[in-house]
Amino acid sequence: MAIGHRFLCIPILITLTAFPAFAQQAPATDPKIDQLEKKLDELLRQAAEIRQQLDSIKGSQPEAVPDLTKVEVPPAAATAATSTETPAKETPPPALTDVQTVENVPNPGASKVFNPDVSVIGNFFGKAGQKNTTEFGEERPSMQLEEAEVAFEAFVDPYAKAKFFLAAGPNGLEVEEGYANFIALPKDFTAKVGKMKATFGKANTWHTHVRPWVDQPLVIHNFFGDEQLADNGISVSRDIANPYNVFIEATGEVFSGSAERVFERVSDNDLFYNGHLKLFRELNENQNVELGTSYARGTLGEAGSSSYGGVDVTYRWKPLQQGLYRGFIGRFEGMINDNPLASRNLKGFYASGDYQLGQRWFAGARIDAADRLTDGAIAKDRGVSATLTFWPSEFSQLRTQLRRTKYGFLDKPVNELLLQLQFAIGAHGAHTF
Amino acid sequence: MKRMLIIGALASLLIGANAQAADKLKVVTSIQDFASLTKEVGGDRVDVTSIAKGYQDPHFVEPKPSYLLLLRDADLLEVVGLELEIGWLPPLLDQSRNNRIRPGQAGYLDLSNGVSILDKPSSNVNRSMGDVHPLGNPHYWLDPVNAVRIAIQIQQKLAQLRPADAPYFAQRLNDFKLRINEANKRWLATMAPYRGAKIVTYHNSWPNFAKYFGLDVVGYVEPKPGVPPSPSHTFDLIQMMKANKVKAILMEPYFDAKTPQSIAERTGSTLVVMYPSVGGAKSGTDDYISLFNLNLSNLVKALR
Repeated sequence: MAIGHRFLCIPILITLTAFPAFAQQAPATDPKIDQLEKKLDELLRQAAEIRQQLDSIKGSQPEAVPDLTKVEVPPAAATAATSTETPAKETPPPALTDVQTVENVPNPGASKVFNPDVSVIGNFFGKAGQKNTTEFGEERPSMQLEEAEVAFEAFVDPYAKAKFFLAAGPNGLEVEEGYANFIALPKDFTAKVGKMKATFGKANTWHTHVRPWVDQPLVIHNFFGDEQLADNGISVSRDIANPYNVFIEATGEVFSGSAERVFERVSDNDLFYNGHLKLFRELNENQNVELGTSYARGTLGEAGSSSYGGVDVTYRWKPLQQGLYRGFIGRFEGMINDNPLASRNLKGFYASGDYQLGQRWFAGARIDAADRLTDGAIAKDRGVSATLTFWPSEFSQLRTQLRRTKYGFLDKPVNELLLQLQFAIGAHGAHTF
Repeated sequence: MKRMLIIGALASLLIGANAQAADKLKVVTSIQDFASLTKEVGGDRVDVTSIAKGYQDPHFVEPKPSYLLLLRDADLLEVVGLELEIGWLPPLLDQSRNNRIRPGQAGYLDLSNGVSILDKPSSNVNRSMGDVHPLGNPHYWLDPVNAVRIAIQIQQKLAQLRPADAPYFAQRLNDFKLRINEANKRWLATMAPYRGAKIVTYHNSWPNFAKYFGLDVVGYVEPKPGVPPSPSHTFDLIQMMKANKVKAILMEPYFDAKTPQSIAERTGSTLVVMYPSVGGAKSGTDDYISLFNLNLSNLVKALR
């Protein structure tokens, strides 16, 4: 009976709450309803108090300390890391009567991941001072975009990477280098096949933006030309294990025998060959030294065979902790050429030092000496130069080079101020050391 | 007969011990923090070497041929990923003559896959924004939760490469979890009074650290990532720091202290040398837990 009465009261309560105007007009209420209302009010008040207490407790408590023993890696990574292990208990497949369609979100950009890394490096050149027809010819303007190097790089397959460096300049577009680099050969071999710069010394292998000077050293310019010694061929290299903690790498190369002014084949069999041996050792974590020796031999047209020998030494100091701000690189490279057109061996060298002044500033100096074969006679060229380089960022650099060159057969030295702005866009792969 | 048995048993023990020593997994890591965590998990079953030192900026490592000697024989290469090593690791890998540790192979472990990554750009990025990382901030190891996630991934990978030692690695991982969990309680208690404190950092290297300990990074000494401080940015930063009552500037040991020190003096804040990696200081940063002990101790002194 009591329960039935309570049930009867609830709709009445709701009605009274919903229609207060009607309630006000209602006759005197039942005392039991009053009692229920009071109880309800009391309960609501108690609930509010409890909520307040809870809020205050939450506010004063420090944030819960995470239990690091319960940390897990996201499932995707965990699966990837243990993909070859036996999978954990799998959920049973659903009954085929319950199968639904799957909504695959298309990713139109996904196929682009196979596109090669592409970059363009602009090389803007400027020159002031005395005219230098010996080195730059008559037609070189005082300023020009001398080269835009376009580079493409990507994996061909699991065994090889392809690298293309196209040089666009006032004389057109040419393949500066373009080769497949086989990096996964057996017996610790690597190989390059295509057009490439010969691994002869150091400066011959550098692209313009890697060079620490605006110009080429005289010995490179006089012996190989500003395009350096490059040809179509095959290069194979292997490191040589040894107990002395020295990195030793031997490289053997064979080229088609066509490198302007350096090697000129008469028949198809007139290949030119190049060998390079490199030794690298860390003196301590801040200093290291690299030694290299090179030898190239081939045919120089009808004149006969020509050979080049070279040694290179590089000393580097870069304190690891201050590496962003300080560093020094000293370089020496000497070459000798047994040229059939010359009455004696041609010789040349450069020695340089580059010091990092600050995070973005570098200063350097270089001395040059190189013989130059001109119409069968040998001119002795000598030069000194100083450089100052500013890097606004990793992707651009501004360089000035003041140089004084005494060319053989010229009475007066030539003084010049060379300027260079290089700027890169895109993803240009890091270079080897 | 008995003597022969004893000799045989001793010989097999010796041979076994030698074989085990020779059979250590050779692990190369790009940063010392991963080397530390690998030692925690791998114990004496691994031989770990890091390429970058803890006191060196890991963005700018010279790809010296001497590192090729390490990589050539490595069974496992652990990398930060998110393009942190893009300027130096790819040419080393190309020349390593070691196919086991190339991306996609079992011996290559990119630890960014299993951790919480911050600062993932929500729109296109370009280099006018400085040296930004388009895949997210790579300094994720400076978060104790991520450290455990890294350790778990290392344990899974070591177990995959050396299944026979899996229980050993699992046991060591659990031991490490217990130790770092205890340390973490201390760290959070130490930092609790400073939740919400405003700080400035030299480079954007500390987002995971700041988020974990409830610090509010309100500015950077670098105007943009990788760009050295300029006078105008420094002036604006000083005004902002004064207005926000910033008490500490966090700087890695490999940055030049001249500008941040000057900012600290003008704003009444303290320049705190924070070590971003194990091995960052000459002493006191020998492993991951001690690295945090030292960093938090130094930071709290500045925030008081």
